[in-house]
Amino acid sequence: MTYTAETPEPGTYRGQGIVLHVSARTPEQMAAFYSARGFPENAVKALAQTCFVTAGMRNDRKETVWLELANWRFVDSAGNEVHRLKRSDWDALWDQLKLPPASRATFGWTQMPESRDMQPGEPVGGNVTVIPPEGSFTLEARFRVGHEPGGQVLQVRIPGIVCGGRGVVEAKP
Amino acid sequence: MTKRFTLLLALLFALSANAAEPVVPTGLLPLDGRPAPALKLADMDGHATDLAQLRGGWVLVHFWATWCGPCKKEMPTLQRMSALVPVTELRVLLVNTAETDDEVFTFLPSVAPDMATLMDRDGKATERWQPRGLPSSFLVDPQGRLRYLALGGRVWDSAEYVAFLRSLASPKN
Repeated sequence: MTYTAETPEPGTYRGQGIVLHVSARTPEQMAAFYSARGFPENAVKALAQTCFVTAGMRNDRKETVWLELANWRFVDSAGNEVHRLKRSDWDALWDQLKLPPASRATFGWTQMPESRDMQPGEPVGGNVTVIPPEGSFTLEARFRVGHEPGGQVLQVRIPGIVCGGRGVVEAKP
Repeated sequence: MTKRFTLLLALLFALSANAAEPVVPTGLLPLDGRPAPALKLADMDGHATDLAQLRGGWVLVHFWATWCGPCKKEMPTLQRMSALVPVTELRVLLVNTAETDDEVFTFLPSVAPDMATLMDRDGKATERWQPRGLPSSFLVDPQGRLRYLALGGRVWDSAEYVAFLRSLASPKN
């Protein structure tokens, strides 16, 4: 069964023992953030071409919940997959741009981990980057629970995400 | 009768032994005791601290950054805890991850004016420790082993945390 985020908290899902919140940032917000931290211009330009979805999650269950971005899927209104940039994609770009180690570290720590065994009570947060689609899109995420293969899987759907300042889930500056 | 008395004594002993065990507060994850990675960094004045030189006492190693929201909330609790737990029982080492003196200088005095931080200028020391995100705190025992990991930001000056941290210094631990 898939559970859907509903108002009055746009972009937030609460249920099944987890809380997940997502909000899209504008390119200006992200460019300002990384510029202020000394990122070179070519890196800021590349960052501003993508859409940052800031995600925050907490495991309120009594067992481990597995965050695996490989199990997150973004789809547009036509059902087409929205391309997510993985950490390895960014690493390749940073190699090419010779991004200084401090900037690489800052960028890395501001991203959502690709995978995490979320312990009971543990929060996790960070950015997920996608190639911005036209119009709104939806996050469909699956989370394994516990350590047994074939165990429970939580499914969450958060619609209405819009990049670049047009959507209900957009973060306020 | 003697047998019953002996059993009662054993039970009382077991209960008192349990009572003396420090209760691990919510949000602290026991670790396997593997050796802590090396940590030798300087503060903004150039004074170096080497974790290896602090063997013999418990050390809390806390990784943070100015851009991290939970860090801002947690830092004052670390300062208040430092005033409650004598330095002979616990040394607190703050490690700023990959930021500049200017960034730290404008942030730290506003949230924890009595604290000083080591500067991991290129972020490589933080990377070696593999925290689960920022903020992240590790408790290192007197033998230099990783014993506990704090999951996300914690209220370090809460009664349960202070009691636990003070109990670490007892000869039993």
